[in-house]
Amino acid sequence: MSGTSKTSVLILDDEPIVCKRLKPSLEKKGYEVEVFFKSHEADLRTTQRSFDIVITDLKMEGMDGMQFLTKVKQRNPQTEVIVITGFATMETASESFRQGVFDFLAKPFKLSEIEAAVKRAEAKLKSRPPSSEP
Amino acid sequence: MKVILDRIRALLKPTRHLPFALLFGRFQKILSLNNQILERIGSMGDKLGGDYVFDRQYILSASQELAELVEALIDHLNVLAPGKYPDLRDVFRSIQGQIQGDLNGMGHVPLTDDVLPMAAITQDLSMAVGGKCATLAEIGTVLGLRIPEGFAVTTGAFRRFMAHNGLQEQLQEVAEALRLEAISEEQASQRLRQRIEAGQMPPNLEKAILKQRDALIAGPSGQGAVFAMRSSAIGEDGRHSFAGQFKSVLNLPGHALVAAYKAVLASTFAPSAIAYRRETGMDEEQVAMAVMCQRMVDATASGVLYSLDPRSSDRDTMMISATWGLGASVVAGHITADQFRVARATRHDRIREVIAEKKEGFYATAEAGMQRRPIPEPMQRIACLTPEQIQELTETALVIERYFKTPQDIEFAFDSQGRLTILQARSLSVYSRSNAATCDISEVLQESSVILSGQGMVAQKGICAGKVFRVDPDQDLERFPAGGILVTRFASPRFARVIRKAAGIVTDVGSPTGHMATIAREFRVPTIVDTGTATQLLTNGMEITVDADANKIYRGIVAELCYQELVEENIQDTEEYRLLRRVLKKISPLGLIDPSDKTFVPKACQTYHDITRFIHEKAVAELIDLNYYRHYDPGTIARRLKLQVPLDLILIDIGGGIAPGADHHEIGPDQIVSVPMRAFLDGLIGSGAWSLEPMSVDFRSFMSSLTRTAPSHLTTPQHVGRNLAVISAQYANISLRLGYHFNMIDFYACDNPNDNYAYFRFLGGVTDTARRSRRATFIARLLTNWDFSVNQQGDLVVARVKKLTLERMLEKIYFLGMLTAFTRQLDVKMVSDAHIDNYVAEFQRLPADGKMTEGLGGVTG
Repeated sequence: MSGTSKTSVLILDDEPIVCKRLKPSLEKKGYEVEVFFKSHEADLRTTQRSFDIVITDLKMEGMDGMQFLTKVKQRNPQTEVIVITGFATMETASESFRQGVFDFLAKPFKLSEIEAAVKRAEAKLKSRPPSSEP
Repeated sequence: MKVILDRIRALLKPTRHLPFALLFGRFQKILSLNNQILERIGSMGDKLGGDYVFDRQYILSASQELAELVEALIDHLNVLAPGKYPDLRDVFRSIQGQIQGDLNGMGHVPLTDDVLPMAAITQDLSMAVGGKCATLAEIGTVLGLRIPEGFAVTTGAFRRFMAHNGLQEQLQEVAEALRLEAISEEQASQRLRQRIEAGQMPPNLEKAILKQRDALIAGPSGQGAVFAMRSSAIGEDGRHSFAGQFKSVLNLPGHALVAAYKAVLASTFAPSAIAYRRETGMDEEQVAMAVMCQRMVDATASGVLYSLDPRSSDRDTMMISATWGLGASVVAGHITADQFRVARATRHDRIREVIAEKKEGFYATAEAGMQRRPIPEPMQRIACLTPEQIQELTETALVIERYFKTPQDIEFAFDSQGRLTILQARSLSVYSRSNAATCDISEVLQESSVILSGQGMVAQKGICAGKVFRVDPDQDLERFPAGGILVTRFASPRFARVIRKAAGIVTDVGSPTGHMATIAREFRVPTIVDTGTATQLLTNGMEITVDADANKIYRGIVAELCYQELVEENIQDTEEYRLLRRVLKKISPLGLIDPSDKTFVPKACQTYHDITRFIHEKAVAELIDLNYYRHYDPGTIARRLKLQVPLDLILIDIGGGIAPGADHHEIGPDQIVSVPMRAFLDGLIGSGAWSLEPMSVDFRSFMSSLTRTAPSHLTTPQHVGRNLAVISAQYANISLRLGYHFNMIDFYACDNPNDNYAYFRFLGGVTDTARRSRRATFIARLLTNWDFSVNQQGDLVVARVKKLTLERMLEKIYFLGMLTAFTRQLDVKMVSDAHIDNYVAEFQRLPADGKMTEGLGGVTG
């Protein structure tokens, strides 16, 4: 942990370009960012620490994004999840929202769009009473 | 010949008598597909702007969907004109195949000549010549720096060599055996390398190589030329790092080039390279090697420069190691070299020098190959580079770094005439050592003082820092310092002369689509234009940091920001951007412009855009041809409309659009009874917009020559009339080609508001991109002010309005007529941004009645 009061963000996408673009732009906005290309690695990381915001793709090899975000939400219901996918359909969108996803962006999206989504998620986190977890 | 036979066959075929309604349905489908395709092409192009995050999957699916639409378009034209354009499908398949090749990635070998001179190579050819060669060529052609004379033997030549010797099959067998682990990497390597070195050259390839060699020898001081053959593999300098795994053969006499070529090819299959490919999951069969042949430089001193020291945490210095004679790469480990540490900041002070004792040097000779020679006593203990040479070298390195946006590892040489030559340049991996505790970019930025924020327009993204250099009009640019930030009142293309030296550009006035901005983009110089006040706030010599990503200018040098920019991969250089650029080259450019030209044929189509344009033109022509000239359907009559303005318009009445008893060949506007069509023509001709031409008489006649389609008695039906209106009592569908742009208008107006709609589409061509987007911007602004819902993409404008009362609808349609008349001349006239405002103002002065101009009140905003 950084020990600072920064909002932490985990990004999972099997296409490195997505992480490569999002990490520096979110860091420049003052977020603490970790990126993963493989879902099982991201999954392992979320057992070690919690993140305020998780950004994940849906279609990936191995554990898919839906499974991953379900586990994330189980482990830490406070985490806000933003789904980014190139295969946006009504079904995947509504399934995502059923799983308690905060926002859903179809790829390709603009950097400003994801930044705005992260900002909204952060605002929601801050408006909540502090977690009573140990 | 085949074309002619196909034509005859098509003519002899019994005409299927589709009713006009069905044909017209196809025609409308073509127009709609046409639109979808253009919107998608525009949207794919937008993704390159830097704002979007897209991945490989997007490029795959967007290309696939586009191909499906283009194929559907071809199918529809085939219904209108059965069997008339058989080539169209072949051309489509060929373009689709090329795109698929790009998408398949590594294995794709572009179609180029086997051998390309350096001067003909651009970064776009990196799949043909390898990244190393393409980068060096660009340093020569774009940055204008001296590089060795030479040429590239392409990946296509590699494939031909392999095929000529039956090696592709051998390669497949070996690759399969490797996969099954039946043989070791060493065994695989040995088998392939032996076969390659013993292989026969395809005769044309050998000839081409020798021809290029002779051209080099024939050049000035060709005598005693020696050559180097260097590997330039696909991916060697890109996503994968093959550094040092492939062979380079140096110091070759002219007769040894072919053997050396084969030796470099063989190194493609060095055991370490095979092992590396297996680890990174690259297919052995997909490998392709390009080779760069260079004339060796008669170096007096040479070496390597790191524009940022990768081993130290010092971010402010460059490292140079150099020695007498041939470069450090040649003599690595054999000879000690001088070390110089130089400040990156302007003036480039030498921070530290370690002068080695240099007893020997290596020199290239034609007769005896590489020679180790003793260095004369007085030169042994002095620096092999003069302070002036170090200065020149450092400035040059920063020019290269600024262009490629990453720290550079540069091999260089000074020749016997003291000229600096760049032998090779590649990105240096400098891992960000910043960690959250010591360097927090967001905190640094919060503490930095902002001089300007969000005030101008970004013409080229990027970050730079340096000293302000104010340039006034007519000022001599000679004094412009390398690495300075050019601050000026007006953007001007005359700054092209110093743009290579400039770290950044900031102007008070200017446009992101102007000439200077275009040049800044070409050289990737971060540029903010139109700030209004930069010259008041930024004084000469002041240190500033320009963040053209965020449109901000900070006081002082924000080192963290510059450093982050430098170590981050430049987004435009990522695989995905390159791939999308390559794919778009086969999709987006429009080469088919003039329908009256002989080259306006399917075979000349090189992109999806060309095909789309061709089909649109032919679909309109076909409908006119069938109905007006061949009286295809006796139930539908096509007539020429006689107008006072030079506009050849064919009308097809599909029900109640024209007064009963009208002449079957030619009618006047009075005989049109279609209510919406009358409103349109009133706007087009009656409003005065048509003749609103504030230019010289000569220019006016030029314009009208563009507007008129050819007179009927002079041409065959196929070449006449691209202006068509299909009308009924309540409906019109109008296709107009005015000048070199297309208008498509489709509307329906009756007493029931729920059925009413109007659709307007404008698509340009011919002039440069800036002018086209200006014109589109102008049109979009007017339409928006008239309450249309407007979508603009590049020079395509689509506007819709619906569900209005008949009276309101007719006003909109009148306006569309007026706008159509007005736009016909715009593409030629809009030479500067100021024209947008002028024309908006002019449009307002149109002598229309009060009711018609109500929407124009707020247009000037």
